[in-house]
Amino acid sequence: MKVLGISAHYHDSAAALLVDGVPVAAVQEERLSRHKNDAAFPASAIEWCLNDAGIEAADLDAVVFYERSMLKFERILTCALRAFPRSWRSFPHAMKNALAEKVWVRGVISSHLEVPRDKILFARHHESHAAAAFLAAPTKRAAILTADGVGEWATLTVGHGERRPDGRTDITLLREIRFPHSLGMLYSTFTAYLGFAVNEDEYKVMGLAAYGRPTMTELVRQVIRPAPDGAFALVPEYFEYQTTASRSYSSRFVELFGQPRNPYDPIDLDTTEGRRFADCAASVQRVLEDTLVEIARALHRETGLADLCFGGGVALNGVANARVLAESGFERLFVPSAPGDAGCALGAALYADRIYLGNPDRDVPDHPFWGPVVNTADLARAAREDDQDVTELEDGPMIERIADELARDHVVGWMDGATEFGPRALGHRSILAAPHSADMRDRLNRDIKYREEFRPFAPVVPIEAADRYFDLPAGGARLARFMSGVFPVRPEWRARLAAVTHVDGSARVQVLEREMAPRLHALLEAYGRRTGIPVLLNTSFNLSGEPIVTRALEGYSSFRRCGIDVLAAGPIVVSKRAASPGRPLKESATWGSERLVGSGAV
Amino acid sequence: MPPLARVARLDRLLLPLHRWVWSDFDRRVRKILAFAEVESDGGRDILRAAEVTPDGLLRRLYLEHAIDELHHGDLFRQRGAALLRSRSTRLKTLFNGTPLPGGHGLDDLAVQDEPDYRLLAFLHIAEKAAAGRFTIYRDLVADDPQTHAIFEEILRDEVFHMNYTYTQLARVMPHAYRRQVWRARANRLGKRYLRVAAAIAGVFGATILTLIYFIVLPPFAWLAKRADRRTPPGWRPIPEARDDSPTRQY
Repeated sequence: MKVLGISAHYHDSAAALLVDGVPVAAVQEERLSRHKNDAAFPASAIEWCLNDAGIEAADLDAVVFYERSMLKFERILTCALRAFPRSWRSFPHAMKNALAEKVWVRGVISSHLEVPRDKILFARHHESHAAAAFLAAPTKRAAILTADGVGEWATLTVGHGERRPDGRTDITLLREIRFPHSLGMLYSTFTAYLGFAVNEDEYKVMGLAAYGRPTMTELVRQVIRPAPDGAFALVPEYFEYQTTASRSYSSRFVELFGQPRNPYDPIDLDTTEGRRFADCAASVQRVLEDTLVEIARALHRETGLADLCFGGGVALNGVANARVLAESGFERLFVPSAPGDAGCALGAALYADRIYLGNPDRDVPDHPFWGPVVNTADLARAAREDDQDVTELEDGPMIERIADELARDHVVGWMDGATEFGPRALGHRSILAAPHSADMRDRLNRDIKYREEFRPFAPVVPIEAADRYFDLPAGGARLARFMSGVFPVRPEWRARLAAVTHVDGSARVQVLEREMAPRLHALLEAYGRRTGIPVLLNTSFNLSGEPIVTRALEGYSSFRRCGIDVLAAGPIVVSKRAASPGRPLKESATWGSERLVGSGAV
Repeated sequence: MPPLARVARLDRLLLPLHRWVWSDFDRRVRKILAFAEVESDGGRDILRAAEVTPDGLLRRLYLEHAIDELHHGDLFRQRGAALLRSRSTRLKTLFNGTPLPGGHGLDDLAVQDEPDYRLLAFLHIAEKAAAGRFTIYRDLVADDPQTHAIFEEILRDEVFHMNYTYTQLARVMPHAYRRQVWRARANRLGKRYLRVAAAIAGVFGATILTLIYFIVLPPFAWLAKRADRRTPPGWRPIPEARDDSPTRQY
């Protein structure tokens, strides 16, 4: 049975394909269209999934959309009515936006894929999150928690899932918190207040929080209050996201927290204003963590289960995840590689397959590599045409060569096999570097990633050595499998892991098992043999404002534009030549300009 | 001093409008920040062209071009930010948390679907128009040496971009390059018409929806508010027996 899952239209659209209950392909649209957080209908992602599996759209047994679009439209309309007459400006925009394409999603899918309309199914948004978290996790029974900005109405749900011995699967969501009360929207509102992009830069707030002290938690608790039944409620006077799309916080919010940050001003932590923003980030981070821990603790008491599966965009908050693992009572915490809306494509497909269609449960391979495979021949050809230094090596010598480069403090663009599904680079599309000095961190921020200096880099370590360098609690290695938890670097190693140790002594570590990415695992070991520390800095292979690279030529163009020294893809190693061809190219290309003056050019 | 690009007749006619835009501080900042987005978007599109073209020389030239455009985006962004910092302006509140409307770099051109000759013709026309307009802007910001210098620098690059796109078009399409340029001009005009038509339709649509909002919605709004007041915040149980027909969108 072939089931295609689709998420689209809000942010980060994606497609995922199941064949006989097992994922065979999944990719975010942005990785193919090259528009970051592409929310368009994922036509390219769908086409790639079908081509990769060698099937036609007509072969599909079901196509599942990740949410119920009319239910979402009902929420948008109801919120506009509730905010009458303050919503008069946003109403036309919201209606045009919804009525243009979003509510006609069945027709859109049907016309794109030419599949009969009765094959098109709909899961609820948080059911898709729950399925992505539970059905992709190696657990038989688990509590389920989902939290994001908003789906149709729900913003947070709790429940449990079970894989029965007879092959049947149950996912039961017990209760939900509804819009406008939303942990995701709370965090996004502070993201906007702190001058970052909503739905994109929430992780910057988490990074900034480490520089501050949670001195404003009481103020934050004025805008999010506990409900009598153990849930929470946002105080609507402080927010505007339910009435307008242009600003998410109100004037009262500004009265409470002070003037918001101008997005174009750098954050200077040496100034009072810079520290105020850091304290604000630390405070909302603390309140988010406390709230999640309380909810998870209550869920643990209620279900008595050992495992928790956590999905939704809020599950990308690694600091909160680590606290949930440590304080909620659950022994293991599973966060999928794509807990956000992109992952809902896979979640919706799994939900339909197991729950709607009643197919027997199948184990889902425990890795994130479901996207396009790198074509190394393209890379070798392009690099040779550009007169770069290209070497082709067997696997063993290749690993040794890259380890040498890293030990010489060279920065390596690393492309290996299929792309990751989800926002993290987990070893197949990574920029790797030595993790030892703060200079390397600064160099990467300045010359390669072109990003704010307060943002930390993540380490990757083989599972065999993880406990030596990082203070992982029980269950920590599992949470760190997809880089979903932030844990302390052991104090004695912080100075020697300065490039990956955040200001508070923590790191968002990836703990790597050999089976998941054998070549990267071998590289870590080879690097360890040279330096004594088998840890590398691992950051996503993309430049500022761009999605993570997918194809070899995208990696190559990034390599050409920034300070990466070496590019490795499969057996191909490209080293950057010292001289850039920039100016000579410009000169040679304008040789005919005089001739063309009368022909339309200058 | 870079060579002067030819200023289009329409832009010469619109000179008073351009002067009006650039004479006001807030409008100037808004314009500069909007350019930052458009140049960066355009840079990413041309980067895409570099990644998909099978032609090695074009790949290198596109890459140069993309680096220039991304650099222009940075120059505009930094200048806009510096201007914002230099003076208290109402824009500071306007931009909070709301990314500026950018407009997509290459007029929503699907770069990966276009053959090189069409892309080159399009780029040539677009760069030529931009150079003409930037020449006007450069002269209008003579009172602001830093912004003036940015336009000077960008104009130098635009000249290179115009020339290489034309020479390369002549190389890849030796017998029909002029026709391709004219076709690109016609396409650009057509797209401009569609943009204007869509904007007018948008205004009509918004007007009708606003009328509906104030005429039809008030009683429903009253009911929605009343229902909202009766709903306490907190957990909502999810009934086991809710309608789970998988084909429903509700």
